[in-house]
Amino acid sequence: MFKWKINLIAVLIVSLLFYLLSYPLNDWLSLTMPRHQLLQLPAMFLLGIILNACCPNFEVKNISYGIAGLIFIMASLIFWMLPRSVDESVIHPNFNRTMHFNMLVAGFLTIAILRNTIFEIKIVFLGMVSAMLLATGVALRVFDMLLCSSFTIDQQKETGLYFILIAVGSFTGTLLVLFKSLNHK
Amino acid sequence: MKKIWVPLVALLLCILVLSKWTDSFRAFTIFSYTLQQAGTTPRDFPDIPLVDQDGKVFHIKDKHKYVLVNFVYLNCPSVCHKVNNRLEKIYHSISPEEVPSQLEFVTVSFDPKNDDIQRIKKYRSFFGTNINGWSFALPYQTGQNEFAQYLHQIGVWAYPAPGSGIINHSIYIFLVSPENKIIRIFDPAREDNLTITEKTQSCLNGRLTSSLY
Repeated sequence: MFKWKINLIAVLIVSLLFYLLSYPLNDWLSLTMPRHQLLQLPAMFLLGIILNACCPNFEVKNISYGIAGLIFIMASLIFWMLPRSVDESVIHPNFNRTMHFNMLVAGFLTIAILRNTIFEIKIVFLGMVSAMLLATGVALRVFDMLLCSSFTIDQQKETGLYFILIAVGSFTGTLLVLFKSLNHK
Repeated sequence: MKKIWVPLVALLLCILVLSKWTDSFRAFTIFSYTLQQAGTTPRDFPDIPLVDQDGKVFHIKDKHKYVLVNFVYLNCPSVCHKVNNRLEKIYHSISPEEVPSQLEFVTVSFDPKNDDIQRIKKYRSFFGTNINGWSFALPYQTGQNEFAQYLHQIGVWAYPAPGSGIINHSIYIFLVSPENKIIRIFDPAREDNLTITEKTQSCLNGRLTSSLY
């Protein structure tokens, strides 16, 4: 009973944060590229992860559906990192809110799937996400042409640098998961 | 039971959505997407009346010569001026026998609210007095929606960011043939002055009549 109440409060807090990020703070978060790509997008993903922690019984146990879900998550991340999507989401707030919802679902599904999936799929997924972040970071960092019309080249390069740093952290995390799992085996 | 078709269908659907969104993986930015949506070259250059720095109304289609057209706005913090500085170099690198007899330059402002004839005339003077054949122009008696439609048909992305006075836009340079068709599209972000000059001159010399863009 007590745990049920804690989960309910957590869901309400997540809902409140989702509302704050999507509505009152949306303009501020859309003002620069680092804020849009490195704060808003991961924040929504993180809220999805927290939301899943409140519903631990929601698990994807079937490996086929799990892989399908991971493909959806990867495609979602790719979609929202495309320069055209970034521009459209800055111009149209409702399109941006679609991104928020999509990231919330992606974060929720990631934990629901990875919690039960086999070790090899975890490693492949984390490795692919890290590689994608690294590739995006390098592209943003080295391109001397403006990719997103809503931002500046300086912001683009700054975002690229942070993407590279996050990718390095993500690769490190993947290695830790790999060696931890190997030790268990 | 492991159903392989479930992830395969998911993969296919995701590829379809991404393909549709990027125009078959050809356009990843809003600039290139708008350009792709305008169609392939050669294609008709849409017509609206323009007014130049001297107040003379003209149509690009009535010039019956090659025209290099680009779009700017004078309050632009940087990129428009950089592109025009490069156009100035291109202008001076082309033989005076070809400009303006065979080729003209037209720089159109897409900010008629703030740019008027006096401003564009003054702006033009920054590029020197001896630039015969390079007009700076404004849309003439053209409504906002009609002008937006005109830009869309050409393949130019322009979006005034609310409250900032900034217009986010593409910087493509369009080479229009005497038959009023867009035959080449140059991207100054990817092509240097020499390449743009050589490609333009090859069109003037009749060695190339259709775009490879």
